[in-house]
Amino acid sequence: MSDAYNPRIVGFLCNWCAYTGADLAGVSRARVSSSLHAIRVMCSGRIDPLYVIMAYLKGADGVMGMGCHPGDCHYLKGNYNARRRFVMLESIFKTLGLDGKRIGLWWVSASEGKRFAQVTNEFTELMKTKGPNPFREEMFI
Amino acid sequence: MSARIGVYVCECGPNIPDRIDIDRVLEEISPLKDVAVAKRYRLLCSNDGKKYLADEIRSEKLTHLVVAACSPRDHEKTFMKVCLEAGLNPFLFQMVNIREQCAWIFSEKSEATRMAVKYIRAGISRVTLHEPLLQKEIKATPDVLVVGGGIAGVETALSLAGQKRRVYLVERSDALGGTAARLGRLLPHQGTDMRLIQEKIEHAENNENISVFKGCEVEDIRGFLGNFEVSLKRSGGEPPPEMFRVGAVVVATGFALWDAFDPDVTGYGKIDDVVTSLEFEAMSASGKILKKNGSPPRSVALIHCVGRKEKGYCSKVCCLYSLKFAHQLKDSQPAPDVFEFYSDLCLPEKTDQDVFEEAKKRGVRFLRADDIRVEGRNGKIRIAYRDGSAEEAVEVEMAVLAPAMVPAPDSDRLARMLNIPLDETGFFKEAHSMLDPVSAPISGIYIAGCASGPKSIPESVVQAQAASGKILSVLMLGKTLEPEVKVSTIKEELCTGCQTCLNVCFYGAISFDAFRGVSVVNEAICRGCGSCVGSCPSGAISSKQFTYQQLFKEVMEALR
Repeated sequence: MSDAYNPRIVGFLCNWCAYTGADLAGVSRARVSSSLHAIRVMCSGRIDPLYVIMAYLKGADGVMGMGCHPGDCHYLKGNYNARRRFVMLESIFKTLGLDGKRIGLWWVSASEGKRFAQVTNEFTELMKTKGPNPFREEMFI
Repeated sequence: MSARIGVYVCECGPNIPDRIDIDRVLEEISPLKDVAVAKRYRLLCSNDGKKYLADEIRSEKLTHLVVAACSPRDHEKTFMKVCLEAGLNPFLFQMVNIREQCAWIFSEKSEATRMAVKYIRAGISRVTLHEPLLQKEIKATPDVLVVGGGIAGVETALSLAGQKRRVYLVERSDALGGTAARLGRLLPHQGTDMRLIQEKIEHAENNENISVFKGCEVEDIRGFLGNFEVSLKRSGGEPPPEMFRVGAVVVATGFALWDAFDPDVTGYGKIDDVVTSLEFEAMSASGKILKKNGSPPRSVALIHCVGRKEKGYCSKVCCLYSLKFAHQLKDSQPAPDVFEFYSDLCLPEKTDQDVFEEAKKRGVRFLRADDIRVEGRNGKIRIAYRDGSAEEAVEVEMAVLAPAMVPAPDSDRLARMLNIPLDETGFFKEAHSMLDPVSAPISGIYIAGCASGPKSIPESVVQAQAASGKILSVLMLGKTLEPEVKVSTIKEELCTGCQTCLNVCFYGAISFDAFRGVSVVNEAICRGCGSCVGSCPSGAISSKQFTYQQLFKEVMEALR
């Protein structure tokens, strides 16, 4: 990856909405940035804030959480847990002087293949403008 | 014994090799630690493919299996079954999605190949940490609790009792039948329909498989699909009748009429002979549609949509019953003048249009009206309204309001007890309003009739029959249930007993063991979402197949 900078983004996708939406992006042959490495979890509520921090400290340029739209959670309200945690994470990032814009939570439904592609590509572009996570160097010397 | 992982890349016909250099992937994967075999196959989900995979598991003595193919949503279960048949625990298997989220979304073959390697590496790194989980079976009670003895509840009870199920039918009031049994007539023209409703009620009361509890409410329900424990209380305060166990619960609590309308606008309670639709039904049932002074009204206004704006939804049935009232009034001698004040007519059923056309022929006046105000004037009722920009008024001797249907009182209490949600209108929320309209979002709980929103009698009956069908197909006699395997677990030695997880679990699957001072997961209720894991401040909770270590490995491969 010497010629063009390709950010490394970790995505936690809920099984029922976002992961299915990502599948649909494939079925409809949407073009999605290969910066995102998707990890399937059963619910966005399963995205332990620890993983987000851990992924960031281990050098991820960005961390995306994706879950069902409010009111559509397969597990009733797990996505609300996720939302609270991402709000909390952003304030933790701010407090520690880290870049809170490198993490985020998106709602992507099972029918939103296009939206999955769009939010992933947009986030990738944003990470490209931000450049590598400063922790990447420190952690991997 | 060291791990022997078999990695099999499915070609999926041309789908994967067109976009991913599989040989290159195998080259990179083969030397990895614990990988015993890495091979490609043209179509693993075919019968030949499944046989090949099973043979490979046996002959290569694999301890773990990784299949890189389509989305796990397509064939994870297929390959888990192959594992089971080949004698490998199906949870020692990881599916890697290199088709939908790899081959099909990346523009360059080199990129797709690079990402396929990353995804497979992630699968391999997590699979050795998989636990050989076991599918448990739990005994289920086939009996059913029906809450609410209206037409939906009675129909549910009769349908289930017809299949020899014990049904506990609990009704808050002292009579079955609900609103449907209180109507004057069912259809616009007099028939034997009310008799048919009474027959249904009698059948329910006399059915040996139905235990009817009138004047009772549900005091408490605990449990899960197949095993709910129910206790009742008598509204009068007498001792509770009994405790029993059921496998499923049907919420058929019906509706109430909105009554919070402004008396200054509707005249209700201030002006004589302004009545609600149900009060009119009661008059009609007694056979005497009379004014307060005992004489029959010579003119009647039927006012639709009372509360539609305030509540924000259409109650569906008021247009048709207002037409029924009009016909009923026109049937009497001498026939009064009838005015229908409407804003939109909602007449969707196949025979509704005829009822409307016929009413017009019989001289019923249809007035499209906004800003209706009911005023008292010299002992008469004056209906002032706006038609477009013109201010108009009509004087009548009786006005019938068609108020919005609202949730039955105490719906929120029942919802809390059952741990199921209400929607923004306050009615019970369906698992999916279009695709799963008689299920609550929690397994084992069903909703029939107006409990989930305004419905006509035929719709309520259909829902009752649908809910019964769902219950009969889920709780089959003598069949056990298979609860979720990938549930949360709590390490007692790490649990501090803070009980944060109890509030996070929307299923009520976690309880607090006060004696040991720790939280405990009921594996029969837990659905495996993992919300509790992220809430635990001491890291005591883990979810099976999605443990911290397994996800950590995946993250590390993602960052490679």
